[in-house]
Amino acid sequence: MVPFQYRQLSAAIFAALLAQVALATEESSEQNYFQEFPVVLTASRLKQPQSEAPNAMTVIDREMIVASGFRSISDLFKLVPGMYVSYYKGSQPFVAYHGSTDQYARRMQVMIDGRSVYLPPISSVNWASLPITVDDIERIEVIRGPAAASHGANSTQGVISIITRDAGYLDGKRVSYTRGEKGINDVSARFGKRGDTFDYRMTLAYSADNGYDMLTAPPPGKSITQPQVNTLLNNDNDSNQARLLNFTAGYHPNGVDQFDVQLGLNRDVQGVGFIDKNPSANANPYHDLVCNSGFLQLGWKRQLDNASELSFRYYHIQQNQHETSPYFVLNVPLPGLILQSAHTGRDEIEVQHTLSFSASNRIVYGAAYRTDRFNGQTAFSQFPVTGFSGSFNSNEYRVFAHDEWRITPQLLLNTGAMFERDGMGHQNLSPRVALNANVIPLHTLRMGVSVAYRTPAMLEERYPVNRFLQFRALYTGATAIYRPLFASGSLAMPDQTITSPGLKPEKLLSREIGYLGQFPNWDALLDVRFFSDQVSSGIHLNGLKLTFENEMSAAYQGVEATLKKSFSNNSDLTVNFAHELANSNLSALVVAGKSTATPASPWISDVLGASIPRNSASLLYSQRFSKKISFSASYYYQDSLQPYDRGSVDYQPIQRRVDVRLAKEFRDVGGMSGEVSLVVQNLFNQGYTEYIANNVFNRRSYVTFTFDW
Amino acid sequence: MLNGTKKVWKNRGTAILLLCLLVLLSPSSRAEGLAVTLLLSDSSAPYQTFFETLRQRLPASIKLVVHDPAREGNGSAVSADLVVAVGMKAAEAAIAAVPRPPVLAVMVPKAGYDSLFLGQKAAYGTSAIYLDQPWERQVAFLYAVLPDVERVGLLYSSETRLEVSPLLNSVANRGGSVVAQSVQSADRLFASLEKVLSGSDVLLAIPDSRIYNAASIRNILLTSYRHEVPLIGLSQGYVNAGALAAIFTLPEQIAEQTARQIVAFDKKKGLAAPGYPENFTVALNNQVARSLEIRLPSEDEIRKRMRVGEDGR
Repeated sequence: MVPFQYRQLSAAIFAALLAQVALATEESSEQNYFQEFPVVLTASRLKQPQSEAPNAMTVIDREMIVASGFRSISDLFKLVPGMYVSYYKGSQPFVAYHGSTDQYARRMQVMIDGRSVYLPPISSVNWASLPITVDDIERIEVIRGPAAASHGANSTQGVISIITRDAGYLDGKRVSYTRGEKGINDVSARFGKRGDTFDYRMTLAYSADNGYDMLTAPPPGKSITQPQVNTLLNNDNDSNQARLLNFTAGYHPNGVDQFDVQLGLNRDVQGVGFIDKNPSANANPYHDLVCNSGFLQLGWKRQLDNASELSFRYYHIQQNQHETSPYFVLNVPLPGLILQSAHTGRDEIEVQHTLSFSASNRIVYGAAYRTDRFNGQTAFSQFPVTGFSGSFNSNEYRVFAHDEWRITPQLLLNTGAMFERDGMGHQNLSPRVALNANVIPLHTLRMGVSVAYRTPAMLEERYPVNRFLQFRALYTGATAIYRPLFASGSLAMPDQTITSPGLKPEKLLSREIGYLGQFPNWDALLDVRFFSDQVSSGIHLNGLKLTFENEMSAAYQGVEATLKKSFSNNSDLTVNFAHELANSNLSALVVAGKSTATPASPWISDVLGASIPRNSASLLYSQRFSKKISFSASYYYQDSLQPYDRGSVDYQPIQRRVDVRLAKEFRDVGGMSGEVSLVVQNLFNQGYTEYIANNVFNRRSYVTFTFDW
Repeated sequence: MLNGTKKVWKNRGTAILLLCLLVLLSPSSRAEGLAVTLLLSDSSAPYQTFFETLRQRLPASIKLVVHDPAREGNGSAVSADLVVAVGMKAAEAAIAAVPRPPVLAVMVPKAGYDSLFLGQKAAYGTSAIYLDQPWERQVAFLYAVLPDVERVGLLYSSETRLEVSPLLNSVANRGGSVVAQSVQSADRLFASLEKVLSGSDVLLAIPDSRIYNAASIRNILLTSYRHEVPLIGLSQGYVNAGALAAIFTLPEQIAEQTARQIVAFDKKKGLAAPGYPENFTVALNNQVARSLEIRLPSEDEIRKRMRVGEDGR
């Protein structure tokens, strides 16, 4: 039955319907007013309003996710001011804040329902192997700026927190099919049940596409050399097929206990490698990289009383990748194949207690212990070279406390700290203080200072320099060929021994001033942040010694703004803008012989500064029409930049892109309801390239049919 | 839902017991002060609170005898000038007794009290102080808390017993509309909830335990929170659970009003017309408000806005 509005209808009809004079059933009993209820919206369930968060925060909610039309999770971060989203391969995105990095963005913490999916050995996120789809996400909260005090090491630049949909969000069945250009072919089935004490939902999905378009001619305005022609043009193998499953169940037998189980599996096969037609080694020819991953997460929350809650969480993640590829030296295929596999596992347990001392003071404290395991092999089917086999663990623990003190109704003080001991034995204390002043109603000023550390990644500590040298000596004689063995496919394999023994965590000191204004008369919200971040003891690769060192320092300053505005109940607009500058001591390190990070072009004075888009913006507008038709359009802008560790040919010119989505909902058609939608990405075909020049993004469109019953 | 004429009681035993008890009641011989018999439907906390408050508020000259069906196995002969029946079970038993003294039913929902007379004029010598709020007050409260509301969501079932035209008028007078959605069965509650929430700015709880009960409240609150639609509840319990706000009258407040009516009855020997409670309590959940980024007015401000609304009409 469709809800209808009664303003137009005669009140008498409704009154008759609802029986003006009724029967003395128990529904007329006063007991309806004396019912006892459990506390449902506990402090931990309530999301923190933006005006009270100790950090700048961007929330991408369900409506924005739908309106964006994106089918890959990483693209959603284009809707966060100052975020750099790019792709090394069609299914190897990287998401970074403060400009481009190398292809392994490793300075942001990424969590799904509190589970860190930022995995060793690279300390990066394998986005293609996450066992969820865009449609499993309820909302994403992105903390811009360090949040180590609450989210631990490696949240130096920010935290992405993905919250998946509740176990009970779907009461029924849903099937969805997407078909489009560039091999886009997605199908998913979802079902769920919502009950009084037990809810569950399950997703089965298949997702496939052919990745980026080929670069068929030199980038506009560039003349490229024949070797570059040989490696760049018509050289694109980045299709992806993911098969995944996820299951979430919640059991809440009474008003105080809540048990959650989540599990997921993903089998992802992606095309990797490049055809190198140059007369030199091809370390990474076209082949498949297979990743089987899965996780199990268990949670228990217990409401101790109105003001206190205890929660336990355990999770296990396993990610097994393998690849098989031929190998070339001097463009000659060598006999046999290289077989590589990398197994990563993580177990973590966390206990947390939330306690309200009073209506104005709340503290959350807890502890966690984590074990990361890695083991990897490189084997040669016929090669007379010793393969590689390594296996090691890393254990870390952390304790944390965070206090939220409402000093007066206008002043909120957030203080917190986390103490961590990482797998290398480094001990760090990351404190944070933030004061939110709501002196004029609806206008909040926030001032914050925090310190955060980034623990070195396994691959940074264990850079396989020895294997590199071994291989070079064996096969090239006097001529050095820079094709290290560890990169003989797509997998990054750390060394068994620690090769950068003195490596310490890098430190970030962040200061910010934020303003959040609500303008109810205009139905608008403005969020502005000025920041100044300083990296010291920054980890960088000393390309001469092939070790990672702690001598980089860098500074980032900028301003970010978000404006949200609603026009009546039917349309919404979000505009994001970021302006950012950076500088580093990398050129001094080059002069000192400690870095090979030389500028890719003569106009570049600082490699880091050039790797940041000075201005970037995004805009998302959605409009709902009558007859269940909705339309949305988005625009993305990014200034030109020179990717951090790429050559001048990979220079990224200004990016402009417009996406549109048109959808029509239908109800009660053959007992089903659903939606048909059309998404066109890069509508005006402003072909642009991503992080490497091979990745060309031309216009593509796809249609999605969704049925619910 | 309209054709049944039988009165259905959850606990017929109690009703029959009360009926037996009431047959024995007869008007007293007014030699001393007024004799009031208090009949409780139940001995749980709200009824005990009512009794305690009433006992404290009545002048010593008025004799109060309490009959608590849970404590007393069988009735004894009681003579009374007035029976105060607390709750629907007690009210039904008291009114059905023949012959009987005047009955003041208190802490009864208006729909329940009206149903005792099956659509006819209330029997002579009966009156009531309802437990529920008049719609006008409820709506004034809703707009005092959330002035910008345009669409008021309402879920109802086949068991809902409410006279809603005053609600529709009162919301329409403020430029809003009511989005009502029927719940066909408990199984379909969540589908109905999704529908009503997608078109509402606020969800107004109604006294219908088919929809709002201890088992369903979790999903109702979580779903409405996900839609960022606040719930206006019916009691402190709702607010503790996660409703944004509630307006209700406490047993203490009904007891105070009852005491005043008994004293008036003693003086004038008559009962006032049935009516809504004079006083009410406001409960607010500031944590939920903050999380939904709703700026809640203070309780004083809410009461002030409600008074301004009254004057303006």
